[in-house]
Amino acid sequence: MIEITEHTRNVLLEVAKKKKIYVEGNFLKLLKAPPGDKEFETYLRICKEKDTANRRKRMDVAKDVQRQNKDLLIAAEENEQLTQDLQVALAEAESAKTEAEKLRDDAMEDLELLQQKTQFELVGTIVRIALGVIVGVGIFTTLMYGLAIITGQDTQIIGSTWSNMFGILLTNAFSIVGTIMGVKYATEK
Amino acid sequence: MINTLMLIDDENLFHLVFEDACSLLDMALSIEALDSSDEADSKFKEWFPDDINQERPECVFVDLNIIGSSMDGIEMIRKVNEDYGNGCVIGIISSSEDEEEIEKAKAVGAQFWIIKSDDIEPRLEEFMEDYDGYVNKTNPFKVYR
Repeated sequence: MIEITEHTRNVLLEVAKKKKIYVEGNFLKLLKAPPGDKEFETYLRICKEKDTANRRKRMDVAKDVQRQNKDLLIAAEENEQLTQDLQVALAEAESAKTEAEKLRDDAMEDLELLQQKTQFELVGTIVRIALGVIVGVGIFTTLMYGLAIITGQDTQIIGSTWSNMFGILLTNAFSIVGTIMGVKYATEK
Repeated sequence: MINTLMLIDDENLFHLVFEDACSLLDMALSIEALDSSDEADSKFKEWFPDDINQERPECVFVDLNIIGSSMDGIEMIRKVNEDYGNGCVIGIISSSEDEEEIEKAKAVGAQFWIIKSDDIEPRLEEFMEDYDGYVNKTNPFKVYR
Protein backbone atom coordinates (compact mmCIF):
# COMPACT_ATOMS: atom_id res chain seq x y z
CA MET A 1 0.00 0.00 0.00
CA ILE A 2 1.12 3.56 -0.71
CA GLU A 3 0.66 6.33 1.82
CA ILE A 4 0.63 9.56 -0.11
CA THR A 5 2.15 12.89 0.92
CA GLU A 6 0.13 15.88 2.08
CA HIS A 7 0.84 17.74 -1.18
CA THR A 8 -0.28 14.84 -3.41
CA ARG A 9 -3.40 14.35 -1.26
CA ASN A 10 -4.35 18.02 -1.64
CA VAL A 11 -3.72 17.99 -5.40
CA LEU A 12 -5.87 14.87 -5.84
CA LEU A 13 -8.72 16.36 -3.80
CA GLU A 14 -8.47 19.67 -5.70
CA VAL A 15 -8.54 17.97 -9.10
CA ALA A 16 -11.56 15.91 -8.03
CA LYS A 17 -13.36 19.00 -6.74
CA LYS A 18 -12.67 21.34 -9.64
CA LYS A 19 -12.34 19.01 -12.65
CA LYS A 20 -14.25 15.92 -11.51
CA ILE A 21 -11.29 13.72 -12.33
CA TYR A 22 -10.72 10.76 -10.04
CA VAL A 23 -7.97 8.15 -9.73
CA GLU A 24 -9.00 4.90 -11.37
CA GLY A 25 -7.71 1.45 -12.25
CA ASN A 26 -5.65 -0.98 -10.23
CA PHE A 27 -3.46 1.86 -8.91
CA LEU A 28 -6.42 2.75 -6.72
CA LYS A 29 -5.98 -0.54 -4.88
CA LEU A 30 -2.54 0.63 -3.74
CA LEU A 31 -3.65 3.96 -2.26
CA LYS A 32 -4.32 4.27 1.43
CA ALA A 33 -5.73 7.21 3.33
CA PRO A 34 -3.60 8.56 6.19
CA PRO A 35 -5.03 7.46 9.58
CA GLY A 36 -7.95 9.64 10.62
CA ASP A 37 -8.17 11.51 7.28
CA LYS A 38 -11.90 11.16 6.72
CA GLU A 39 -11.93 13.50 3.71
CA PHE A 40 -9.39 11.42 1.82
CA GLU A 41 -11.08 8.20 2.88
CA THR A 42 -14.30 9.53 1.33
CA TYR A 43 -12.35 10.55 -1.78
CA LEU A 44 -10.92 7.03 -2.13
CA ARG A 45 -14.37 5.50 -1.61
CA ILE A 46 -15.83 7.69 -4.37
CA CYS A 47 -12.90 6.79 -6.64
CA LYS A 48 -13.53 3.09 -6.03
CA GLU A 49 -17.28 3.42 -6.61
CA LYS A 50 -16.71 5.26 -9.89
CA ASP A 51 -14.08 2.76 -10.98
CA THR A 52 -16.34 -0.18 -10.12
CA ALA A 53 -19.28 1.37 -11.97
CA ASN A 54 -17.15 2.06 -15.03
CA ARG A 55 -15.67 -1.43 -15.03
CA ARG A 56 -19.07 -3.06 -14.60
CA LYS A 57 -20.43 -0.97 -17.47
CA ARG A 58 -17.47 -1.87 -19.68
CA MET A 59 -17.72 -5.53 -18.72
CA ASP A 60 -21.44 -5.64 -19.49
CA VAL A 61 -20.84 -4.05 -22.90
CA ALA A 62 -18.00 -6.49 -23.61
CA LYS A 63 -20.21 -9.41 -22.55
CA ASP A 64 -23.01 -8.14 -24.79
CA VAL A 65 -20.64 -7.89 -27.72
CA GLN A 66 -19.32 -11.37 -26.91
CA ARG A 67 -22.89 -12.70 -26.86
CA GLN A 68 -23.71 -10.94 -30.14
CA ASN A 69 -20.53 -12.32 -31.69
CA LYS A 70 -21.50 -15.79 -30.55
CA ASP A 71 -25.01 -15.36 -32.00
CA LEU A 72 -23.56 -14.06 -35.25
CA LEU A 73 -21.24 -17.03 -35.40
CA ILE A 74 -24.15 -19.42 -34.85
CA ALA A 75 -26.20 -17.54 -37.48
CA ALA A 76 -23.28 -17.71 -39.91
CA GLU A 77 -22.99 -21.46 -39.32
CA GLU A 78 -26.74 -21.84 -39.85
CA ASN A 79 -26.50 -19.78 -43.05
CA GLU A 80 -23.64 -21.93 -44.22
CA GLN A 81 -25.71 -25.04 -43.51
CA LEU A 82 -28.71 -23.55 -45.33
CA THR A 83 -26.54 -22.64 -48.31
CA GLN A 84 -25.22 -26.18 -48.42
CA ASP A 85 -28.76 -27.59 -48.14
CA LEU A 86 -29.89 -25.26 -50.94
CA GLN A 87 -27.01 -26.36 -53.11
CA VAL A 88 -27.90 -30.00 -52.50
CA ALA A 89 -31.59 -29.27 -53.24
CA LEU A 90 -30.60 -27.39 -56.39
CA ALA A 91 -28.44 -30.29 -57.56
CA GLU A 92 -31.32 -32.68 -56.82
CA ALA A 93 -33.75 -30.44 -58.73
CA GLU A 94 -31.32 -30.27 -61.63
CA SER A 95 -31.02 -34.04 -61.60
CA ALA A 96 -34.82 -34.43 -61.40
CA LYS A 97 -35.20 -32.00 -64.31
CA THR A 98 -32.72 -33.99 -66.42
CA GLU A 99 -34.56 -37.20 -65.50
CA ALA A 100 -37.93 -35.62 -66.39
CA GLU A 101 -36.54 -34.39 -69.71
CA LYS A 102 -35.21 -37.85 -70.45
CA LEU A 103 -38.62 -39.38 -69.62
CA ARG A 104 -40.36 -36.77 -71.79
CA ASP A 105 -38.00 -37.55 -74.69
CA ASP A 106 -38.62 -41.28 -74.21
CA ALA A 107 -42.38 -40.68 -74.15
CA MET A 108 -42.18 -38.54 -77.30
CA GLU A 109 -40.15 -41.26 -79.01
CA ASP A 110 -42.69 -43.90 -77.93
CA LEU A 111 -45.54 -41.72 -79.19
CA GLU A 112 -43.80 -41.20 -82.51
CA LEU A 113 -43.20 -44.94 -82.83
CA LEU A 114 -46.85 -45.58 -82.00
CA GLN A 115 -47.97 -43.06 -84.61
CA GLN A 116 -45.67 -44.61 -87.20
CA LYS A 117 -46.95 -48.08 -86.31
CA THR A 118 -50.56 -46.92 -86.70
CA GLN A 119 -49.67 -45.27 -89.97
CA PHE A 120 -48.02 -48.45 -91.25
CA GLU A 121 -50.99 -50.51 -90.17
CA LEU A 122 -53.34 -48.13 -92.00
CA VAL A 123 -51.19 -48.20 -95.10
CA GLY A 124 -51.05 -52.00 -94.85
CA THR A 125 -54.87 -52.19 -94.62
CA ILE A 126 -55.26 -49.84 -97.61
CA VAL A 127 -52.77 -51.88 -99.61
CA ARG A 128 -54.48 -55.14 -98.71
CA ILE A 129 -57.91 -53.77 -99.71
CA ALA A 130 -56.55 -52.17 -102.89
CA LEU A 131 -54.73 -55.37 -103.88
CA GLY A 132 -57.90 -57.34 -103.09
CA VAL A 133 -59.98 -55.04 -105.28
CA ILE A 134 -57.37 -55.22 -108.08
CA VAL A 135 -57.09 -59.03 -107.91
CA GLY A 136 -60.88 -59.35 -107.57
CA VAL A 137 -61.60 -57.13 -110.56
CA GLY A 138 -58.88 -58.95 -112.55
CA ILE A 139 -60.34 -62.39 -111.72
CA PHE A 140 -63.90 -61.21 -112.39
CA THR A 141 -63.04 -59.68 -115.79
CA THR A 142 -60.95 -62.75 -116.73
CA LEU A 143 -63.84 -65.07 -115.79
CA MET A 144 -66.28 -62.98 -117.87
CA TYR A 145 -63.86 -63.01 -120.81
CA GLY A 146 -63.35 -66.78 -120.46
CA LEU A 147 -67.14 -67.37 -120.27
CA ALA A 148 -67.66 -65.29 -123.41
CA ILE A 149 -65.03 -67.34 -125.28
CA ILE A 150 -66.52 -70.66 -124.07
CA THR A 151 -70.09 -69.71 -124.90
CA GLY A 152 -69.10 -68.34 -128.34
CA GLN A 153 -70.30 -64.84 -127.62
CA ASP A 154 -68.81 -61.77 -129.28
CA THR A 155 -65.56 -61.09 -127.44
CA GLN A 156 -64.50 -57.91 -129.22
CA ILE A 157 -65.79 -55.54 -126.55
CA ILE A 158 -65.06 -57.75 -123.53
CA GLY A 159 -61.58 -58.56 -124.94
CA SER A 160 -60.53 -54.95 -125.30
CA THR A 161 -62.16 -54.18 -121.99
CA TRP A 162 -60.22 -57.03 -120.33
CA SER A 163 -56.93 -55.92 -121.86
CA ASN A 164 -57.55 -52.24 -120.90
CA MET A 165 -58.72 -53.26 -117.46
CA PHE A 166 -55.63 -55.43 -116.95
CA GLY A 167 -53.34 -52.61 -118.11
CA ILE A 168 -55.02 -50.17 -115.76
CA LEU A 169 -54.95 -52.64 -112.87
CA LEU A 170 -51.26 -53.41 -113.35
CA THR A 171 -50.45 -49.71 -113.62
CA ASN A 172 -52.41 -48.99 -110.41
CA ALA A 173 -50.78 -51.95 -108.65
CA PHE A 174 -47.30 -50.64 -109.48
CA SER A 175 -48.42 -47.14 -108.51
CA ILE A 176 -49.57 -48.44 -105.08
CA VAL A 177 -46.31 -50.36 -104.58
CA GLY A 178 -44.36 -47.20 -105.53
CA THR A 179 -46.40 -45.09 -103.09
CA ILE A 180 -45.82 -47.61 -100.29
CA MET A 181 -42.08 -47.65 -100.94
CA GLY A 182 -42.03 -43.84 -100.98
CA VAL A 183 -43.94 -43.55 -97.70
CA LYS A 184 -41.68 -46.13 -96.05
CA TYR A 185 -38.55 -44.31 -97.25
CA ALA A 186 -39.88 -40.94 -96.02
CA THR A 187 -40.83 -42.23 -92.55
CA GLU A 188 -37.47 -43.98 -92.11
CA LYS A 189 -35.73 -40.67 -92.81
CA MET B 1 -4.93 -10.87 -3.66
CA ILE B 2 -2.72 -12.11 -6.50
CA ASN B 3 0.06 -9.64 -7.29
CA THR B 4 0.65 -10.49 -10.92
CA LEU B 5 -1.64 -12.52 -13.11
CA MET B 6 -1.24 -13.51 -16.75
CA LEU B 7 -4.02 -14.39 -19.17
CA ILE B 8 -3.18 -16.10 -22.46
CA ASP B 9 -6.23 -16.02 -24.73
CA ASP B 10 -6.69 -15.22 -28.42
CA GLU B 11 -10.05 -13.47 -27.84
CA ASN B 12 -9.32 -9.81 -27.11
CA LEU B 13 -12.87 -9.18 -25.98
CA PHE B 14 -12.44 -11.77 -23.25
CA HIS B 15 -9.34 -9.88 -22.05
CA LEU B 16 -11.62 -6.94 -21.20
CA VAL B 17 -14.19 -9.14 -19.45
CA PHE B 18 -11.51 -11.00 -17.50
CA GLU B 19 -9.62 -7.86 -16.46
CA ASP B 20 -12.81 -6.16 -15.29
CA ALA B 21 -14.06 -9.25 -13.47
CA CYS B 22 -10.69 -9.62 -11.69
CA SER B 23 -10.72 -5.98 -10.74
CA LEU B 24 -14.30 -6.08 -9.44
CA LEU B 25 -13.47 -9.16 -7.38
CA ASP B 26 -10.23 -7.59 -6.09
CA MET B 27 -8.52 -10.64 -7.47
CA ALA B 28 -5.27 -9.24 -8.84
CA LEU B 29 -3.21 -6.08 -8.69
CA SER B 30 -1.68 -6.41 -12.09
CA ILE B 31 -2.98 -8.35 -15.09
CA GLU B 32 -1.06 -8.98 -18.27
CA ALA B 33 -3.22 -10.28 -21.10
CA LEU B 34 -1.51 -11.88 -24.09
CA ASP B 35 -3.20 -13.19 -27.22
CA SER B 36 -0.57 -15.70 -28.20
CA SER B 37 1.08 -18.62 -26.44
CA ASP B 38 4.24 -18.00 -28.47
CA GLU B 39 4.54 -14.54 -26.94
CA ALA B 40 4.04 -16.05 -23.47
CA ASP B 41 6.62 -18.71 -24.26
CA SER B 42 9.21 -16.04 -25.17
CA LYS B 43 8.53 -14.25 -21.89
CA PHE B 44 8.86 -17.40 -19.80
CA LYS B 45 12.07 -18.25 -21.68
CA GLU B 46 13.39 -14.81 -20.77
CA TRP B 47 12.45 -15.24 -17.09
CA PHE B 48 14.02 -18.67 -16.78
CA PRO B 49 16.12 -19.52 -14.80
CA ASP B 50 16.81 -16.06 -13.37
CA ASP B 51 13.89 -13.70 -13.17
CA ILE B 52 16.06 -10.67 -12.30
CA ASN B 53 13.25 -8.10 -12.25
CA GLN B 54 10.75 -10.55 -10.75
CA GLU B 55 8.35 -10.13 -13.64
CA ARG B 56 7.22 -13.71 -13.71
CA PRO B 57 3.47 -13.87 -12.91
CA GLU B 58 2.21 -15.57 -9.78
CA CYS B 59 -0.70 -17.12 -11.58
CA VAL B 60 -1.37 -17.98 -15.25
CA PHE B 61 -4.70 -18.62 -16.98
CA VAL B 62 -4.32 -20.24 -20.42
CA ASP B 63 -7.00 -20.75 -23.03
CA LEU B 64 -7.19 -24.27 -24.48
CA ASN B 65 -7.25 -23.41 -28.17
CA ILE B 66 -5.28 -20.29 -28.98
CA ILE B 67 -5.86 -19.36 -32.61
CA GLY B 68 -2.74 -18.01 -34.30
CA SER B 69 -0.34 -19.70 -31.89
CA SER B 70 1.93 -22.64 -32.56
CA MET B 71 0.97 -24.40 -29.31
CA ASP B 72 -2.29 -24.94 -27.44
CA GLY B 73 -2.92 -24.31 -23.75
CA ILE B 74 -1.95 -27.83 -22.68
CA GLU B 75 1.42 -27.63 -24.42
CA MET B 76 1.95 -24.18 -22.90
CA ILE B 77 1.33 -25.55 -19.40
CA ARG B 78 3.66 -28.47 -20.07
CA LYS B 79 6.39 -26.07 -21.13
CA VAL B 80 5.93 -23.78 -18.12
CA ASN B 81 5.96 -26.73 -15.73
CA GLU B 82 8.66 -28.84 -17.34
CA ASP B 83 10.91 -26.43 -19.21
CA TYR B 84 10.57 -23.23 -17.20
CA GLY B 85 10.64 -24.44 -13.61
CA ASN B 86 7.01 -24.84 -12.53
CA GLY B 87 7.03 -21.70 -10.42
CA CYS B 88 3.49 -20.42 -10.68
CA VAL B 89 -0.12 -21.42 -10.24
CA ILE B 90 -1.26 -22.40 -13.71
CA GLY B 91 -4.43 -23.76 -15.28
CA ILE B 92 -6.84 -23.65 -18.19
CA ILE B 93 -9.67 -21.22 -18.81
CA SER B 94 -11.79 -22.49 -21.70
CA SER B 95 -15.35 -22.89 -22.91
CA SER B 96 -14.57 -26.54 -23.60
CA GLU B 97 -15.67 -29.23 -21.17
CA ASP B 98 -14.02 -32.08 -23.06
CA GLU B 99 -13.11 -34.71 -20.45
CA GLU B 100 -10.24 -36.02 -22.59
CA GLU B 101 -8.67 -32.55 -22.77
CA ILE B 102 -9.24 -32.01 -19.03
CA GLU B 103 -7.36 -35.25 -18.33
CA LYS B 104 -4.53 -34.17 -20.65
CA ALA B 105 -4.26 -30.83 -18.86
CA LYS B 106 -4.18 -32.59 -15.50
CA ALA B 107 -1.43 -34.89 -16.76
CA VAL B 108 0.86 -31.99 -17.70
CA GLY B 109 0.39 -30.33 -14.31
CA ALA B 110 -2.53 -27.94 -14.72
CA GLN B 111 -3.94 -27.15 -11.26
CA PHE B 112 -7.41 -26.05 -12.33
CA TRP B 113 -9.81 -25.84 -15.27
CA ILE B 114 -12.27 -22.95 -15.37
CA ILE B 115 -15.18 -23.20 -17.77
CA LYS B 116 -15.55 -19.92 -19.62
CA SER B 117 -19.09 -18.59 -19.93
CA ASP B 118 -21.04 -15.34 -19.79
CA ASP B 119 -21.12 -15.53 -16.02
CA ILE B 120 -17.45 -15.98 -15.18
CA GLU B 121 -17.37 -14.08 -11.86
CA PRO B 122 -18.79 -16.81 -9.55
CA ARG B 123 -16.16 -19.25 -10.84
CA LEU B 124 -13.35 -16.76 -10.32
CA GLU B 125 -14.65 -16.08 -6.83
CA GLU B 126 -14.64 -19.80 -6.06
CA PHE B 127 -11.16 -20.06 -7.54
CA MET B 128 -9.93 -17.27 -5.28
CA GLU B 129 -11.22 -19.12 -2.23
CA ASP B 130 -9.05 -22.09 -3.24
CA TYR B 131 -6.09 -20.01 -4.43
CA ASP B 132 -3.86 -20.42 -1.36
CA GLY B 133 -4.16 -24.16 -1.70
CA TYR B 134 -2.87 -23.93 -5.26
CA VAL B 135 0.07 -21.76 -4.20
CA ASN B 136 1.26 -24.24 -1.59
CA LYS B 137 0.29 -27.19 -3.84
CA THR B 138 -2.10 -28.75 -1.32
CA ASN B 139 -5.23 -28.45 -3.41
CA PRO B 140 -6.01 -31.18 -5.91
CA PHE B 141 -6.86 -30.44 -9.53
CA LYS B 142 -10.34 -28.92 -9.77
CA VAL B 143 -12.79 -28.10 -12.54
CA TYR B 144 -14.87 -24.94 -11.96
CA ARG B 145 -18.16 -25.39 -13.79
